[in-house]
Amino acid sequence: MNKSLQILAITSALVGLAGVAHAQSAGTWMLRAGATTIEPSNPSGNLSAPAFYVLPRTGVGSQTRTGSDTQLAGGITYMYTDHISVDVPLALPFKHKLYGAGAIEGVGELGEVQALPMTIFLQYRFMEANAKFRPYVGLGATYAYFFNERGSGTLTALTNPGGAPTKFSVDSKLILTPQIGATLALSDKMFVDVFYSKANLTTKTTLSTGQSVDAALDPASYGIAIGYKF
Amino acid sequence: MRQFKLISAVLGAVLLVAGCGGGGDGNQSPRSAITSVKVMGDSLADSGTFSALGTGSGYGRIFGVQGASSKNFAELTAASYGISSLCNVYQYTGTTFVLNTTAGCTNFGVGGGRINPSAAMGGAASPFSIVKQLADSGVMNTYQATDLLIVDGGGNDAADLVGAYLKASTDGGTAFSTMLTSISGVTLPASAADFPAAGVSYMTALANTFFDAIKTNALDKGATHVAIINAPAITNTPRFQMVLDSISAAYGGGTAGATARAQSEGLFKGWVEAFNAQLAARAAGESRVVVVDLYSNFNDYIAHPADYGLTNVTTPVCPITGVGSDGLPTYNFETCTDTALSALTPPAGSSGDANWWKTYAFSDGFHPTPAVYLLASQLLNRSLIQAGWL
Repeated sequence: MNKSLQILAITSALVGLAGVAHAQSAGTWMLRAGATTIEPSNPSGNLSAPAFYVLPRTGVGSQTRTGSDTQLAGGITYMYTDHISVDVPLALPFKHKLYGAGAIEGVGELGEVQALPMTIFLQYRFMEANAKFRPYVGLGATYAYFFNERGSGTLTALTNPGGAPTKFSVDSKLILTPQIGATLALSDKMFVDVFYSKANLTTKTTLSTGQSVDAALDPASYGIAIGYKF
Repeated sequence: MRQFKLISAVLGAVLLVAGCGGGGDGNQSPRSAITSVKVMGDSLADSGTFSALGTGSGYGRIFGVQGASSKNFAELTAASYGISSLCNVYQYTGTTFVLNTTAGCTNFGVGGGRINPSAAMGGAASPFSIVKQLADSGVMNTYQATDLLIVDGGGNDAADLVGAYLKASTDGGTAFSTMLTSISGVTLPASAADFPAAGVSYMTALANTFFDAIKTNALDKGATHVAIINAPAITNTPRFQMVLDSISAAYGGGTAGATARAQSEGLFKGWVEAFNAQLAARAAGESRVVVVDLYSNFNDYIAHPADYGLTNVTTPVCPITGVGSDGLPTYNFETCTDTALSALTPPAGSSGDANWWKTYAFSDGFHPTPAVYLLASQLLNRSLIQAGWL
């Protein structure tokens, strides 16, 4: 028996003990689909002048609170080595509603914005390639792209009553996204992936009235997906 | 290489999705189906009661800077409901008030409006009386759930009270006593030392008169959306700052003058606060009423002008045209137009361009600029939105 056959025999025996073969070894491609939630931090900073302030003064002005959203999401992963992978999450655009906060608490929805975080993660996967459970850490380069900003009658009534509808735009940004996650093999080909990431994202929203507001959105993102290995 | 091609393709697809659509206005419709805005109040809310007096009258359409798009706060809020113009119900002929023959007018507000106008102004029978405005509207209209009433008042009454109080040094308190006895429920002073407390009592009784009139003529007649603007601190206005300065001067200036000035300002503000506190107490728990706290916000505009986009909260933008019998400057709203102001040489310390006056707070000694009307409308709108009415 030559050396290769010996290794094959040992590997087969190990696989037999484990019940399934589920290697995430170099060259493996993985596709997954599931759901991802993005949960921004709140509230924003104060809207620039002219804006409302909480009275008596507390320093809190007109602020916004950005709602969470969950979308159909997944991704594609390539195992560059047995431990290092490249991952590209994919998702439908996230729709975040903006609500009044601080001095404009209780005014309800001010508008909405869609977000598409485009990320490439470099990940390190712990344990052996064929381990059933593999935690991982990752660091991604994310382009947080905001689009389809829509105002409302409320936003106009608070900022430009009797005038043209107030529009706004949210600055898109390139940021780093650290991530932790894990995969659990369900079978030879199928697995479950869970992850959590939290990015540092401070962005500026500019209104057509000339006002602006900075928000440390620092979004937490988490999701679960079912995947398939090739 | 293959994997990088695939990643590139995926990213390309993502960018294609992202490229769809673009920003927009969103839904601009109010949340409540208000189709008519009815206004009662004073000069801050007047939509042309005196404009028929025409050229040479010194009056404009609103009490502030005139312009093709100039609107007071009530008009700006009406526009938020898609009601692009309000017109005056009463029309001043120069000697008396008549009803405006233009159909569909819903603004009963009259410059100089008071809750308790003096007999010399025509008393309760005159459209200067905000109580009469409320009564007339209650008779002329059958209130619907689609009506919004905007009512402001108390500012001119407070000014009258201050005037009567200051006159006590020359008339022995006659004018002050006449005012105190002109409405019921006032604890009368036993001596001049009781004047400050009597002022509080008067303003409290005045708030009761005001709210009673709103209840009888609006709420009890089916009005379900009533926004009451509380009384601003008139002491913040250039006119009353000059009055306070004159008090300081009468005390010889210096520390004694400053102390007297501060005491007087505190006293007059306290009277307005008494009115506002009673108004808030009467409206508490009444879901058909929102009270808009112009008082606190106007104070904040003066204390922190930059936060409201204001650069000057002391100097009127309209040119002084003369001196009144009270020794205070007079102004002419008819000629104080946006184009005329932009054509003036910008004052030192202003932005220095044609827009210099747009960040000032006062048009004349007592009335706001368009910037402050806009702030007041935003404030009213915030209350209306929070109530679910806009």
